Amino acid sequence: MTIFVCKESVDDIFCGIYDAWMSRLGHKNVRLELTGGDSELFCEYREVVGDPQKAGKVADSIRKKLGETVYETVYEALLSWERGRADIVYRFLIHAFAVGPGILDRLQIPAVYELFRLARYVSRERHHYVEFVHFAEMEGGILIGKIEPKNDVVTLVAPHFSDRMPEENWILYDCRRKKAVVCQAGRGWVVVFADSQEWQARLEQATDERQFTRLWKTFHKSVAIEARTNYRCQRNMLPLRFRPMMVEFSPDSQ
Amino acid sequence: MLIQADMGIQDKLRILSDAAKYDVSCSSSGVARKGKKGGLGNTLAAGICHSFAADGRCISLLKILYTNQCIFDCKYCINRRSNDVVRTAFTPDEVCTLTVEFYRRNYIEGLFLSSGILHSPDYTMNLIYQTLFQLRRRHHFNGYIHVKAIPGADPGLVEQVGYLADRMSVNLELPTADGLRVLAPGKTREKILKPMRQVQRGIAAQNLRWLEDGRRQRPAREIGMADSVNHPGRSLWNQDQAVGRTFVPAGQSTQMIVGATPESDYQMIQVAEALYQKFDLKRVFYSAFVRVNEDSLLPVLPGGPPLLREHRLYQADWLLRFYGFEAKELLSEKRPNFNVLLDPKCDWALRHMELFPVEVNQADYGTLLRVPGIGVKSARRILAARRSSALDFPALKKLGVVLKRAMYFITCSGRMMYSMPMNENFITSQLVGVEHKKAWDIENHDSYRQLSLFDDYHMTAAVSGEDSMSVVTGSL
Repeated sequence: MTIFVCKESVDDIFCGIYDAWMSRLGHKNVRLELTGGDSELFCEYREVVGDPQKAGKVADSIRKKLGETVYETVYEALLSWERGRADIVYRFLIHAFAVGPGILDRLQIPAVYELFRLARYVSRERHHYVEFVHFAEMEGGILIGKIEPKNDVVTLVAPHFSDRMPEENWILYDCRRKKAVVCQAGRGWVVVFADSQEWQARLEQATDERQFTRLWKTFHKSVAIEARTNYRCQRNMLPLRFRPMMVEFSPDSQ
Repeated sequence: MLIQADMGIQDKLRILSDAAKYDVSCSSSGVARKGKKGGLGNTLAAGICHSFAADGRCISLLKILYTNQCIFDCKYCINRRSNDVVRTAFTPDEVCTLTVEFYRRNYIEGLFLSSGILHSPDYTMNLIYQTLFQLRRRHHFNGYIHVKAIPGADPGLVEQVGYLADRMSVNLELPTADGLRVLAPGKTREKILKPMRQVQRGIAAQNLRWLEDGRRQRPAREIGMADSVNHPGRSLWNQDQAVGRTFVPAGQSTQMIVGATPESDYQMIQVAEALYQKFDLKRVFYSAFVRVNEDSLLPVLPGGPPLLREHRLYQADWLLRFYGFEAKELLSEKRPNFNVLLDPKCDWALRHMELFPVEVNQADYGTLLRVPGIGVKSARRILAARRSSALDFPALKKLGVVLKRAMYFITCSGRMMYSMPMNENFITSQLVGVEHKKAWDIENHDSYRQLSLFDDYHMTAAVSGEDSMSVVTGSL
């Protein structure tokens, strides 16, 4: 068994797929893993070196031969937090290139289902953050929203808000990966790695949101019907892990 | 009546959202609209929930009344004239500020504006119009707006509001004219249905115009002034039409109260079916009756709001809209109410065992949809997946079929999942077991079950050697 070890980014995994595929060792004899995993006996490990050209080739051939929908699904799956994602995509592509664009209909094939499962999980989390991320206004009218996603969904969430608030300056910050999407009114958005001290100071800047936080809490409380109180249903619909970032669930400050 | 005009916005929001909460609809669905430069907001066809309240209901829109002052005295309503509650009203500015600032923070998907009837229906409708006009024009708000059409208001006003809103609704509240006469003396069925008909005709006329223009589907963008120049006929329309706003693009909805009057489930779903077919409604909402007023005409419901009944009505409603069922298939004069122990689809299937089992690899879409445990999504996936190879039970599970219900009604390549009798009584007892816990949860959410000696809780453990010994020796 030859194991191709690649870094975590989408491009690096595409390079890994290229190397493994072109090594001509046979699909059964190769496996893709991410760096930092445990190593196994009797395996040959090969470090994958990032190369934009190789990554581009893989992306292009997926787009050309399998279509945009498949490409988007693969891309979503690669943003998953599961460490096996590189190999799952590799196994999927073996079937995909044999079948063609209709591959996503064939959920009865285990390799296809695995990819579908990853992509579904990612897109569900994306949707959860589209729903539940709340912004607060900083100095200068900049809106800041913080999220803590399991999967790397910040770039999938951003387009929704850039379409929604074209006249606002906003920042969407992934606390877990210390990564931010910054959007300037009318100028589109960019991804910034925000782990520098300067950024941290900026992100911690106090927001003067007392008025709207209080209004929103008032509304959130009074809109519930007491006779129908159902915390279990509430937890099913809005899992606890999203709540630390939501003002309506923060303790009252007075 | 205590009217406080100089109240702070905080108190107004508390009172007027509390007064609006018995309206169940909070969906922001039905229209997909991209954001636009210079504006704020977009909408998604599926709608978005932004939080969930303590009752487990989604919070999607800022659901408020414009005012809780009302000239009517509907028995079931907390804002009825004869109630001694604090009355207040927003100003258009306050509603706009709340909506825009909440929206920017992604707290809400838009505004749901309803109102008590202040002075007259026309006066109230006009206030709503002023508010929406400001929101759309001055604040360039492009998000979702759901608004009430006030029964009895001038059709011209209703139409103008329709061009600013996304969805309009008129609440039927009580499914029959008799119920309405008793509990809502100020309203009549004709008065309620009139604006509903008007909105329906407005939407239909608009669709016809688009069809004539050769555009089956309206482009997502707003069309500019140029269009009205190219189509001279349009100069007759009002300003909203000229800038290409759509008339009630997300359609209309209504709500019925469940359990305030003695109507049966059969009557309720027949009314719902008629509304879908004859009034082209997008949604009918059902609201379990909550007794907020002391009134001898209102029923006392010791078990709390009839939540399970409401749940069954929603299930049936889905069957009407997405599964090709008709009201008369689900219930009849002889069986006018839903089975407490089984969902309406299982119930129907068990009464039609002659149609089952269905062969998953051959059945058409309509037949698959009627199998308990198979929904719209899984039926579509089955159609797509079986084109390449025959499906077996593990594959069905991956496609999202709920096998614990479906397994009694399907075969894969001629085989059932387990060998078992195709017998109505046997399957009923199996399905009731599955459904029992769910139904119990809905009725008794977040409380604990009273232990009783004689119920079977499936807590039986295998008999151990020690147990057998103790039986013999007689010691415990």
